[in-house]
Amino acid sequence: MGLSQRVLTLYDQPMWDSIEQQRFALQHCDDCATVRYPPGPICPHCLSLAASWKPLSGRATILSWVVFHRQYFDDFPPPYNSVAVQIAEGPIVVSNLIGDEPDGSWIGAEVEFVYRRQGERMQHAVRLLRSGPVAGGSDQTAP
Amino acid sequence: MAERDLAKVAAVVGVGHSDWIGDHARVRAGGKPHDSNGYGAVAFREALADAGIDRSEIDGLIVGPTTSYERIGELLGLNVRWGGQADAMLGIIEACMAIRSGLAEVVALVYGNDQRSAAISYGGAEAMGGNMFLSYVYHAPWGFTSQGALYAMMFRRYMELEGLTEAELGEVAVAQRLAASKNPNALMRKPITVEDYLNSAYICEPLHLFDYCLINDGGVALIVAEAGRAKRMSARSVPIHGVGRSDLNAGATSLEPRLFDYYRPAQQQAAEQVFAMAGAGPSEMSALQVYDSFSCHIPLALEGYGYCRTGEAGRFMREHGISLAKGLPVNTSGGHLSESYMQGWNHQVEAVRQMRGECGARQVPDCRFVHYSSDVAGKAVSIIYGK
Ligand SMILES: [Zn+2]
Repeated sequence: MGLSQRVLTLYDQPMWDSIEQQRFALQHCDDCATVRYPPGPICPHCLSLAASWKPLSGRATILSWVVFHRQYFDDFPPPYNSVAVQIAEGPIVVSNLIGDEPDGSWIGAEVEFVYRRQGERMQHAVRLLRSGPVAGGSDQTAP
Repeated sequence: MAERDLAKVAAVVGVGHSDWIGDHARVRAGGKPHDSNGYGAVAFREALADAGIDRSEIDGLIVGPTTSYERIGELLGLNVRWGGQADAMLGIIEACMAIRSGLAEVVALVYGNDQRSAAISYGGAEAMGGNMFLSYVYHAPWGFTSQGALYAMMFRRYMELEGLTEAELGEVAVAQRLAASKNPNALMRKPITVEDYLNSAYICEPLHLFDYCLINDGGVALIVAEAGRAKRMSARSVPIHGVGRSDLNAGATSLEPRLFDYYRPAQQQAAEQVFAMAGAGPSEMSALQVYDSFSCHIPLALEGYGYCRTGEAGRFMREHGISLAKGLPVNTSGGHLSESYMQGWNHQVEAVRQMRGECGARQVPDCRFVHYSSDVAGKAVSIIYGK
């Protein structure tokens, strides 16, 4: 089966270094301030090559969640959750919710990034700040 | 635009596939009837016989993913003046384009996949496809893997925001199993109920076992010819009336087009193109075939292609119906969930057979148009078959 593994390109390494230091950082475009996730060589918004690594606020909102009932990795025995959160800086990041779970729908719940060991590596998870209302409706769109 | 479009430029003259049921039984018993090349070769022989033409008439070749273009051409003894590699949906569009431009007149499309006997894995540490779709592997550190999980994440949000229930989603698996029960080529033929669906295990919640496609070995081949020549070749040729395509790439790995838009903008653009080219709209389609690696493709396609209003797919499936028994017949062969997982190729075979009126107990009466759509990873492709 095997252990879960990171994708570690040239551009991903600084992000994982920041997570190891428990200060999750992403590239901010020097020209238009768009935050890149996954990290990469160019800003998809303005095509600028210039970017600076800056720590994130650590705040995010849950957009969706799943619960795995089948085992895919030796280091992830089911059941476990994965959540898609929109970070305050814009992009969507997949993580795991640890600790308390919202009652009912998880969508709209506000969370903060925390850090935990997954085998050899440090990685982020999220923890509930407070649960929020289900946002939007059928015309929910990207910000 | 009209004189440049691809409407009725080409027609399918032959369809063929391997023995899905027999090979599945042999594989489950530990056998290995063929590799991917072998399944493709078996399907090609069937398609050639179905078309009733000689191999020498073929002057174009498209080979599906998983096998080598040159090796398939070598095995089938095909020297051609035009060729390439493409999936089912794009292969048909490319064949139409080649025929329109005069680069080829009779194109064979060949696909084979030994994914079951080769134990191809669609999730976990050996997940395939990461070199093509970064989202398939990027989120693995958080245990988030498998294409099913990507669709579960997407559709959970849809269900929560639009109020579609698990029982309504279950209508898809139930309708397609009903179709499969009338299809002698389908792997899963025992009818199920919504209750059976709700009682089935979750794989990646909210998706149940019955929301997932099968994994089986097999091959499919199609022969597409210039429309005039197709008519002379076969009395059963099925013209392609329209094609459409629209791809979402921006934000793909961070899941933005999935979670914010459910890929709807791509489907709407493909719909506009394909219906305009065919000169017909959703209400004129006799049946709909949807690429269904997971059941939730169906409600999203119903909305994206305008069969129902945005946010109303759950009610449409429950009240109007999506089965051979009631409403709009969707995936009339059983699709990937219940017939065979041939990555969109078997849907083309079914569309052609429905247009020809060869489907026996599952035949949709008075078939005028059959619409095919796929939205794999936000790449929407659409084809309309007609008379
Ligand atoms: Zn920029």
